[in-house]
Amino acid sequence: MPQTAVLYPDFNAVPAVELALRLDQVERSFGSTKALRGISMEIPVGERLALLGPNGAGKTTLVRAICRRLRIDRGRIELFGKSIEKPGVVSQLGVVPQELAIYSDLTAKENLSAFGSLHGLRGRNLKWRIDWALKWIGLEDRKSHLVKTFSGGMKRRVNLACGVLHSPKVLLLDEPTVGVDPQSRQRIFEMLEELRDEGTTIILTTHHLDEAETQCDRIVILDAGEIIADGTLSDLIEHTTGSERHVCLQVDGRLTASIPNLDWDETNHCFVAQILDPAKELPALLQRIRACGGNVLDLEMHQPNLHDVFIHLTGRELRE
Amino acid sequence: MIRTIIQISILRLWHNKSELVLTFLVPILFFSIFAWIFGSRGSSGNTPQLKIAFCDEAGSATNQHTIRLLELTHSVRLHPSNTPNVPTEAYPSLKREAAESLVKRGLVNAAIVFKAPAPNSRSEHIEILTDSFDQVAGQVIVALVQKSSIASQMERNATQAYEIRMAGSPTVSAVAAADFSTNDATQQANAFTMPSIASPAIALVDVLGAKKTNPMIAMYAAGIAVMFVLFSATTAGGALLEERENSTLERLLCSGMTIDHLLMGKWCYLTAIGILQTTLMFGFGAIVFKLELLKHLDGFIAMTLVTSGAAAGFALMLATMSRTRTQLGWISTIVILSMSALGGSMVPRYLMSENIQRVGQFTFNAWALDGYNKIFWRELPLIEIRQELCVLLISGLAFIIIARLFATRWERG
Repeated sequence: MPQTAVLYPDFNAVPAVELALRLDQVERSFGSTKALRGISMEIPVGERLALLGPNGAGKTTLVRAICRRLRIDRGRIELFGKSIEKPGVVSQLGVVPQELAIYSDLTAKENLSAFGSLHGLRGRNLKWRIDWALKWIGLEDRKSHLVKTFSGGMKRRVNLACGVLHSPKVLLLDEPTVGVDPQSRQRIFEMLEELRDEGTTIILTTHHLDEAETQCDRIVILDAGEIIADGTLSDLIEHTTGSERHVCLQVDGRLTASIPNLDWDETNHCFVAQILDPAKELPALLQRIRACGGNVLDLEMHQPNLHDVFIHLTGRELRE
Repeated sequence: MIRTIIQISILRLWHNKSELVLTFLVPILFFSIFAWIFGSRGSSGNTPQLKIAFCDEAGSATNQHTIRLLELTHSVRLHPSNTPNVPTEAYPSLKREAAESLVKRGLVNAAIVFKAPAPNSRSEHIEILTDSFDQVAGQVIVALVQKSSIASQMERNATQAYEIRMAGSPTVSAVAAADFSTNDATQQANAFTMPSIASPAIALVDVLGAKKTNPMIAMYAAGIAVMFVLFSATTAGGALLEERENSTLERLLCSGMTIDHLLMGKWCYLTAIGILQTTLMFGFGAIVFKLELLKHLDGFIAMTLVTSGAAAGFALMLATMSRTRTQLGWISTIVILSMSALGGSMVPRYLMSENIQRVGQFTFNAWALDGYNKIFWRELPLIEIRQELCVLLISGLAFIIIARLFATRWERG
């Protein structure tokens, strides 16, 4: 079951920064189903934000609302301080859909040219951006090949390039690494890193929690149309599972006395303990076990991560 | 193994309703359409009446009677300009040029010209002005005219013989005295008062196809071109659904493009492809089959522009109505083949019963084909295809409006 919303950090407390995107009490319903329930969020320029949530949480609805493909019932969405309803504002936005939304029967160069033209690039500028994009995605030598002849990773890179060709200031990426090998995934994140270095604000929806953990500055978790957590990874861990390491010990023999902070886990048939500083606390714990007649056969230590936070907040129930 | 493959195939077919429809229902549907088109020809109520006009250069009562007998067969219908205001009046005759013009414009299937008799000739000379576009009508009218003419002569002779016998005509007596020596009055009346019945000399005159180098090509070129313009337009229109299915449409619409831009872009492309396709086909026909394209270039351009534009609109309408490309595939197959069958792309419409010809008028193909035929076959000026141009233009606009209405579901939700 979803937990009570824990919202971090408090933006009123941090110094004023230029906001790339601001959502204020955004609501949207489909019939009787409330897909977005008053979403408020501020994303500073240059931030990499991961948007997480179980299936049906409202991520896609939110992304579609941001890129003006969906009307909101209530609230306001601003891009660089201007409502997205104003003409031309969304041109600062780049969208990379989860599906390969490119023309497989066109070449890489033709695809880039088509999407560049759609975003208003013309003539020399278009040519320059196409050359840049081909180099960026590492497909200069394959620019005249039909996209349908490419591998999954290459197609993903073309898909990504088509969304950034017009140099958007904010980039919305929906699962950009689905179905690609680790090498291509790594390359895609290197490409995103380059964009961030140039000041592009990146909003990434993903189910790969490790991507959110390692590639993003801030994580927002959505469930049932609401933000249930918002903050850096350490913030989220601190305020949900806690940052203590979870230690699981297999002990031979019967302990003659109870040890503080050491409990028997009936499910996993092991002793468990929570420790904050392994270097200091673990040797002492092992010594106490030995002193009580126990012989430690095996030890497993787990550091809380985003997966734990996610499960902690959204529960273990299967979603749609 | 084999059993499993068969099982999987059956289950997949069962779950794919479109394929089920195409496999089992479409053949029955087409069989029904063709059975309806040709089966109904057997029933007398639906047999097409041939429209005729006539010109009586001889101005004889026998010709009037022949026309009356022709009309009584119910196989022909006189053009209004040959129909008397009061049934008891004589049939008004047209001038030959007027009758020929009616044939050329396709307003009648044939015109009968009763030629003035040559001196010393006892047989009638009749010309049937036909349009070889309808290869059946000429032959049927020749047979009907022959039958009616002979019947008319027989009736005339019988009437004369009856009158002579009853009235004792001096003319008859004189003829009988000069030619025969018998005293049998009855035999005299029967054998000598009746002029012999001569089969009329009928000449078929092809007023349209005679001068053409390859007469039927224009008809087939138009029929096939229209059908394939429709097929290729709907296939290309399916790209819209593909774009929707793989989210390219979503991406296009995120770029600031509107549905209006999208549909207009697609319509322009499909229209251009239709124009190119038709031009290539007629151009090929001109080079290889001597189709007179350059001679009718203005009419060809006008017809090709509106036909391609309307076909593009039709394709977009079908594409926006469909949910998937597969659905579009089977809907377009059914609709286009049905329209082509009823509209004359597959079988000339003159072979169909009148009822089906009327139904055919609701199809896109019928209007397009009529327009092309008027230009290439009948060699009519542009003004004569104004009706076809208007119908196709209005239909094209209607298709685009309907497509736009259906496409609202892809707009900002």
